[in-house]
Amino acid sequence: MNIIQLRKLFYEEVAKCNKCGFCLPSCPLYYVQKVESASPRGMNAITRAVIEGRLKWSPEIERSIFSCLGCGACTVACFPSVKTREMVFQDRECLVHEGLYPKVVDRLASYIQENHNISDEDNEERGDWREFLKDLPENNLEKDHAEVIYFVGCVSSFFPMAQKIPANMARIMERCRVDFTILGGEEWCCGFPLIGAGVPENIKALMDHNLEKVKEVGAKKIVFTCPSCYHIWKTFYEPDVEILSSSELLQQLLLEHPVSLKEINATVTYHDPCDLGRNSGVFEPPREVLKAIPGIHLVELPNNRQLAMCCGGGGNLEMVDPELSGKVAQIKIEEILKTGADMVVSSCQQCLRTISTRARRQKIDLVVKDLTDLVAEAIPTL
Amino acid sequence: MDTQELIDRIKKIVEPDYVLSSEMDLTLYSYDASLERDRPEVVVLPSSTEEVSGVVALAYREKIPVVARGSGTNLSGGTIPTKGGIVVHFSRMNRILEIDIPNRTVTVEPGVITLDLQNHLLNQGLVYAPDPASQKVSTLGGNLGENSGGPHCLKYGVTTNHVLGAEVVLYDGTVVWTGGKSQDHPGYDLTGLLVGSEGTLGLVTKIILKILRAPEAIKTILALYDTIEDASNTVSAIIAEGIVPATLEMMDNLIMTAVEESIHAGYPLDAAAVLIIELDGMSDGMDRQARKILEVCKRHHVREIQLAKDDAERERLWAGRKGAFGAVARLRPSYMVCDGTVARTKLPQVLSRVLETGKKYGVLIGNVFHAGDGNLHPLILFDERDEAELERVRKAASEILKICADAGGTISGEHGIGVEKIKEMPLIFSDSDLEAMRQVKRAFDPEDILNPGKILPGTLGVPQNG
Repeated sequence: MNIIQLRKLFYEEVAKCNKCGFCLPSCPLYYVQKVESASPRGMNAITRAVIEGRLKWSPEIERSIFSCLGCGACTVACFPSVKTREMVFQDRECLVHEGLYPKVVDRLASYIQENHNISDEDNEERGDWREFLKDLPENNLEKDHAEVIYFVGCVSSFFPMAQKIPANMARIMERCRVDFTILGGEEWCCGFPLIGAGVPENIKALMDHNLEKVKEVGAKKIVFTCPSCYHIWKTFYEPDVEILSSSELLQQLLLEHPVSLKEINATVTYHDPCDLGRNSGVFEPPREVLKAIPGIHLVELPNNRQLAMCCGGGGNLEMVDPELSGKVAQIKIEEILKTGADMVVSSCQQCLRTISTRARRQKIDLVVKDLTDLVAEAIPTL
Repeated sequence: MDTQELIDRIKKIVEPDYVLSSEMDLTLYSYDASLERDRPEVVVLPSSTEEVSGVVALAYREKIPVVARGSGTNLSGGTIPTKGGIVVHFSRMNRILEIDIPNRTVTVEPGVITLDLQNHLLNQGLVYAPDPASQKVSTLGGNLGENSGGPHCLKYGVTTNHVLGAEVVLYDGTVVWTGGKSQDHPGYDLTGLLVGSEGTLGLVTKIILKILRAPEAIKTILALYDTIEDASNTVSAIIAEGIVPATLEMMDNLIMTAVEESIHAGYPLDAAAVLIIELDGMSDGMDRQARKILEVCKRHHVREIQLAKDDAERERLWAGRKGAFGAVARLRPSYMVCDGTVARTKLPQVLSRVLETGKKYGVLIGNVFHAGDGNLHPLILFDERDEAELERVRKAASEILKICADAGGTISGEHGIGVEKIKEMPLIFSDSDLEAMRQVKRAFDPEDILNPGKILPGTLGVPQNG
């Protein structure tokens, strides 16, 4: 991507920004940093100034553009709905082209190229979270053919703090007799981290591989606990099968297999993950699942659904600038604490990691759970 | 002093991370929500009055312009550093310092977002009345500088009616207080002078605002008309009946059509105008007032009336008005909001001349505005990148202000003069009027370092900066 291509793709779009500033209060980054370069209006202005030749790519621009959380809250607040998030991702491609990018991008791209995942681990270890499932009588989660593929995603596969999520998701599906399989070492990164990092060139190979596997398994549905994988599959992959987030599948299962759920007496608040809620439009299924658990009292965050505030873990910020990501998580935590809820539930391994890591480091007593954790607790025989 | 030395000196006053001078940062502080653009030499984000004072004192010694900035939402170029210098961005000074319920006052720093204060107060059953359309992002310091209005200012008055006092950094860095918590302060009303001065007389670092008890009841009425004239006459007639609604807003056909296409508010596409009338206050007597308003509407050939029965219906009636800017923003890439005020009785003739002006210059103009105040907001839609069209827009905007002035009105209702309307100042002020204002400016800012080049046409007769 270079400036000529950027102009072709986004000059009309960025010209729609009237600099009214209505996006400023919706942007968690601006809230934390309080400078124009952290604001969506500022990022639009950078893009436009570069396209018009008034500004040259620079290390300062790199810092600003690579800090965007990609949460999309600005577009919701924007009268003409300027697609700042999409523009920022293209800006990143230009910056990479100019050699201006955080070093972590090279590492990420090489891990994905070599290991087909975002970690330094061998992709064969993707299914290691199955160790959590020793209590299950049947432990064969990799089948040649199944009706549903569970696409676990890199973070839940390789980061210990999130591995409970696939374990619980698998337990719930076993209990509800879902004919499902995971792809194990044949599941490759969905490609989303490459788009966020401005190096999307290799995404095609990942997509082709994953789509081929879906064909081999003959699945009719793919379910995702990771909202970013879900979002990218829905937006880019266009497979000939049904795409479901975990919350949508859980909602279906609870309707089709009315199990008497255990009572959990707790006041919970729900955090909408950006890629599941605002960016994919899944707002109600997780709430319906929560309401189906007896004893759960749901209180909404002041900023919910379309207006939900990012946890700080979006747009690769945690990799690029963990301290800044933590500061965003802090304001999320403060918003959660004000609700008086006993716990915050989300439907995303990244939100769970970002929020609970910040809470732990700041010694804040906060219970953070994934929707799958809570449902697994409520299902009697698990 | 060269720029680098200036930056180094400022970094001794304000934390270096909050002193910005990269090409990127200077570009990003070169705009506001108007069409103007100019770059500063350095941007500072102070955290205290002492830091603001230190920066201004340095600027005074070195004769460098200082421009105060809130969220940069202003629509007349008031925060554009047209003569370079230092932009002081108040985003870090955003604390609500005190809510004094018995005295009905609140003390804030200038960077507090207007809606944040309003939400904070509403939790305690209190309100800060001025509600500019940009309230969710505008700052109270900016509201003070521009003397901002908003729909509710019809009944409650504009920002100046709600500012009781302020801590101000003067041209040489001296910190003074004007006004205070009492309602009637002796001595010169310097607070009144500061409100609307667009940062040309001093930099406000603390503000004492008046707060009110939240109204007990609200009633919202939507009235559709076949002619703009009938809608406009209704506006004057309601006020003539002795009723002052909390808001009295109007939208014309172009805006309604755009709204209908984008959010389906339920407006008939062939209606010429819609009024949104809202009453607030004690519930006793409100029904009687509403009935009177309905009678007035009928007398002026209203086509259809809707009365909100509950909060959800009220939201629905307001949805079109609140979504108006969003809807028109989709029609063309850029828009310019003109801001002029005329006597309510002049609305029909002025609105028709505004539409003629649009035709004359071949630009699209819609009207969505505070009809109760006679505060017009003709919205000109265009593409900023088309220089020929931009020129026509500037001419049309200037002519619209002249129409307002010719009708005995003014050239600003709530958006200030900034850079954009300086050339129209002589339309409403005589040479002596303007000279009186220049004398005030000279008294407050003898070296012309505080937001120079704004509001007043002509030279100040002081050493020029730049």
